[in-house]
Amino acid sequence: MNFFELFGLEADYSIDLTSLATTYQALQKTVHPDRFAHSSSQEQMLAVQKSAQINDAYDTLKNPIKRGEYLLQHLGAELPNEQASFQDIEFLMVQMELREMLAQIKFANDIDAALMSAQESLDIQARQLWLEFEQQLAAKSDAANQQAGETLRKLKFYHKLYIELERIEDALFDD
Amino acid sequence: MAYSEKVIDHYENPRNVGSFDKNDPKIATGMVGAPACGDVMKLQLKIDEQGIIEDAKFKTYGCGSAIASSSLVTEWVKGKSIDEAAEIKNTAIAEELALPPVKIHCSILAEDAIKAAIDDYRAKNKE
Repeated sequence: MNFFELFGLEADYSIDLTSLATTYQALQKTVHPDRFAHSSSQEQMLAVQKSAQINDAYDTLKNPIKRGEYLLQHLGAELPNEQASFQDIEFLMVQMELREMLAQIKFANDIDAALMSAQESLDIQARQLWLEFEQQLAAKSDAANQQAGETLRKLKFYHKLYIELERIEDALFDD
Repeated sequence: MAYSEKVIDHYENPRNVGSFDKNDPKIATGMVGAPACGDVMKLQLKIDEQGIIEDAKFKTYGCGSAIASSSLVTEWVKGKSIDEAAEIKNTAIAEELALPPVKIHCSILAEDAIKAAIDDYRAKNKE
């Protein structure tokens, strides 16, 4: 049973996260150790395994990038090697600039404005990539799925930028 | 996870941080990124007429191991010919810095950055 089936969903990218959380809790209840207090040790073990699988599925499905990768694999796309380095120069130049922009925030005269404008730049670019991803998925072809995998790789850089922005924000308002 | 002393040394006192003018024909620029961790690395080599690397600079946004790997590489490539530099293997970088298995990709990134810079140099100087 794949993760989508486990949660009673169609294998589709867009899902309702609120109902995903509700289903998650309902599923975990069915395998709660209390329910198996008087069961055989084998049944108890199966319940524990099932619970772990439900956790895995939930972690994957609720995360946009992981869900995208899982879906692409489910559709038979071969994802680029996680360890392989990325050499799209133009994209990396932009990444360098964005990193420099984040590093400059703490020197800005108006820090709040600098944080906001950084957030906005990231949002605009990440949104554009998600749009491309959805269009690539909608094309429903192997070649487009391959491209969708590349788009997800790019989005991972943005994920990192958001973490970095959050770290900078925390550091600025800590002292 | 603890960083090795060598990683900490390069992280705290990175060698050759900075940039050269990438439009200068003597300058080779290699840009690589690691999607798994979002690290971005730029390595630039200044190469003389004999194909010897005179100087090197790097700029890396990433974890301590990625910064240390690129810092180390800038030291190693100086004085080498581009063919010799192309021979530098990630395993040597990982060994020198005592990188743990989960950080091997940082050394791969540094090796790929050298290769990307050399490719850039060869593309620039084809004729």
